[in-house]
Amino acid sequence: MSLVGRGQRRLEGADKVAGVTRYTADLEMAGLLHVQIVLSPLPAARIRSIDTTGAAAAPGVVGVFTGADLRSNANGPDKPLAVDRVFYGGQAVAAVVAISESAAADAAALVEVDLEPIPAVTDAEAAMREGAPQVLDTVAETSEEDAAVHGAATAAESEPVERPPNVTAVASFKRGNVAKALAGADVVIKQRYRLAGVHHSPMEPHVAIARPEADGGVTIWAPTQGPFALREDVAKTLGVPAYKVRVVPMPVGGGFGGKVILLEVLLSMLALKVGRPVRLALTRQQEFIVGHPAPGAAFDLELGAKKDGKLVALRVKYHYDNGATSGWHAGITGSFLGGTYQIANFELTGYEVATNKTPVDAYRGPGAPQAYFALESAIDELALQLDMDPIELRLLNASKEGDPSADKSPWPRIAMVECLEEAARHPLYKAAVGPGEGVGVAVGSWGGARTPAAAGCRVEPDGTLSIVIGTPDVSGATTGLAMIAADAFGVSADKVRIQTGETDVAPHGPIAAGSQTTYSIGGAVQEAALEARRQLLEIATDELEAAPEDLEISDGRVSVRGVPDRFVEITRLVAASTEFMGRHKPIHASGRSAVLSASPQFTVQIARVRTDPETGAFQLTGYAAIQDVGKAINPPEVEGQIHGGAAQALGRALGEQLAFDGDGQLRTGSFLDYELPTADQLPDIDVRLIEIPSPFGPLGAKGVGEPPAIPGPAALANALARATGTRLREVPIDRSALVKERTGARTG
Amino acid sequence: MGMGRTPPVGLMRITCTVNGKQVSADDVWAGESLLYVLRERLGLFGSKNACEQGECGSCSVYLDGKLVCACLVLGGQAEGREIVTVEGIGSDGALHAVQEAFVEAGAVQCGFCTPGLIVAAHDLLNRIPEPSTVQIREALAGNICRCTGYAKIIDAVHLAARGLAQSR
Repeated sequence: MSLVGRGQRRLEGADKVAGVTRYTADLEMAGLLHVQIVLSPLPAARIRSIDTTGAAAAPGVVGVFTGADLRSNANGPDKPLAVDRVFYGGQAVAAVVAISESAAADAAALVEVDLEPIPAVTDAEAAMREGAPQVLDTVAETSEEDAAVHGAATAAESEPVERPPNVTAVASFKRGNVAKALAGADVVIKQRYRLAGVHHSPMEPHVAIARPEADGGVTIWAPTQGPFALREDVAKTLGVPAYKVRVVPMPVGGGFGGKVILLEVLLSMLALKVGRPVRLALTRQQEFIVGHPAPGAAFDLELGAKKDGKLVALRVKYHYDNGATSGWHAGITGSFLGGTYQIANFELTGYEVATNKTPVDAYRGPGAPQAYFALESAIDELALQLDMDPIELRLLNASKEGDPSADKSPWPRIAMVECLEEAARHPLYKAAVGPGEGVGVAVGSWGGARTPAAAGCRVEPDGTLSIVIGTPDVSGATTGLAMIAADAFGVSADKVRIQTGETDVAPHGPIAAGSQTTYSIGGAVQEAALEARRQLLEIATDELEAAPEDLEISDGRVSVRGVPDRFVEITRLVAASTEFMGRHKPIHASGRSAVLSASPQFTVQIARVRTDPETGAFQLTGYAAIQDVGKAINPPEVEGQIHGGAAQALGRALGEQLAFDGDGQLRTGSFLDYELPTADQLPDIDVRLIEIPSPFGPLGAKGVGEPPAIPGPAALANALARATGTRLREVPIDRSALVKERTGARTG
Repeated sequence: MGMGRTPPVGLMRITCTVNGKQVSADDVWAGESLLYVLRERLGLFGSKNACEQGECGSCSVYLDGKLVCACLVLGGQAEGREIVTVEGIGSDGALHAVQEAFVEAGAVQCGFCTPGLIVAAHDLLNRIPEPSTVQIREALAGNICRCTGYAKIIDAVHLAARGLAQSR
């Protein structure tokens, strides 16, 4: 019986609950030195001087380094240590290497950094005003590859229009005649929606170890989502061939897009300077300002429809607040705004804006929670104005297979309609709404990513399989991959180990991002296991004197079909192909895959709230997540991804935000101030899986991890609007606004 | 920083019981946290350092039977006392029912918050053998998990409660 589709316990789960899994910060290493970084307290400054003499003389210090000591061609904000100029508060300006963490910390406090403040701007709108200080001195080309690995083909055209200050790129999508269509619409929703910047906040802060090697390269231990991407980045900076940078992928204590590369270039350079292994483990407070977060965004949106609910026009002018980098979210966002519903006329213009804050990067569905908060709030406002059922309105306009997406390419088979129909049947949606209650729905989607991948497989002396891939496990995907391999080979999943190999020996694997791990690698793992089976049967053929097609594998043996007493143990076949004077070639299988097309994933989430009419306080009384996953390889882990994604999206709505003061200082840089959702704040989350198989993914699977983290803010805002009549167009939700409006309404 | 500043004055030897064994740690200075002593001096890496301000529960341990955040307890306060960490929850190499339930229910994802949650859930079931979902949510509110949305963690605690009830 097939394992795929049935629940399988996480293969590494027992180690994790026992507390014996070794994460990067748990490694012990001979000769290890510790690094502490000195961060700029100012958001923009010229570096007049850095006096390291006091620090260098402190007990236990091995070396103190500044940007002048480290050669790097990176743009100013991306240099391992700042050179001449500081672009954001929290940018590292010096590094101390010492014999202990405490010695490094003590010495770091003695580094005298003389900064000359220069005008800074930490708000995107202010940054776009005439006369605003210039944030970046060079603008990198927007990296299509950055956007692409996170799962979106961005076919946005770049506008040749004159740009406001600090706008590094403009994404533009156009269809039809928007002005005319808006003028001819029966109803137009014209509103502004905003989302605060948020932080991934993985429970494991960033940490890495770099050790210098005799060949001029380095070995890096890091909880990275992309060992190969990391290897290439470090090699490029060091000027050595990629293979001289060996990345040892460590268990990832939460990534969500934020753990690909951060500290490793700096640590590699320091390791080569001091000739010993060095480690840097960020504190939580450092994690908040050094770890690249997700951008805030604002949308000025006009959505026009006919009386019957048919959407006719969408104009959105939006911008991303990217911190000190060029950014690449706006194109992805446009693909959702323009493609989710069939709208004959649209004009979408997205600005990437640089500000003097920590550079942003990918966070779970980059560009999607932002797009869908605006779009799905507006759709709900429209449904209320038209007095239409919000699901019916969405079904009327939903994109289907063959319809044009934002860049005109036809949608493949998608399941937005199936998700909406399931939502309409869901008890949370159908149950009667009492006084003070409200139900909100919202759609989300993700384009899906794909990358060529390979896998290796051999059979161990005890008859178990060892499979090597090049992608780390950030989602439980390897247990699912083990199930695929087990089915293909003919053993149980607990007889399969999936290892993420070190980059000098592992087959190539994609970055674990963009909801692509199972999607991109599943086929390679399956092919490797099938090839290993073929090789095993080839050996058995000889031993059993039977044709390979007459052989079967079960219970650790190869036997002749229908003749159960003619068998040979797998362990014996392995011995015969590995032992001294053995007669057979060893089993050494590989598999490869290159999925040729992405499989977009849709989800609908339902939020139910109860509000207190006296105070405006609210409680989430129920939540449902309906998602097309193509084929759930390991259903409990798929559910787990959806639970966790939904919780992150709700966190974004309920309280998470990176708030800065007028001086460019982060005011929410600790777990005391940054409100992560806790167990007592979240509702039960009911997950419903829709399985419309992908024609491309392994066994019909589609990506899972990103879609659940998308619709939450709109679902909650829509529920609150329906419960209270108050529309909140900003997340995190300002509860006091809810209270004021209600008390104001009562007294007024 | 939890590891703190270089000690200006004398260092201590502390002796305590950890997971049933008497152990000593040398060169402990006055400002050092119990978490640091456990991890860096005693080699017990199960308790995780994730916030160092008692907000996330990733370093939850028992101190004389009371659930504490090891990052908020001074190493010196452990002198003569009894500590149980995640490594001491199981016995004879076997997982405890709480640990088993976490794996069975799919409550483990990245695993970084898991050790603290295991200890906190173990403590809850000691106090309230058959907790309601609301009691579980409240008892675990001091342990932040970023991966699971807590759903399967709550399932796991219910599952462990049933298992423990049957074995009583």
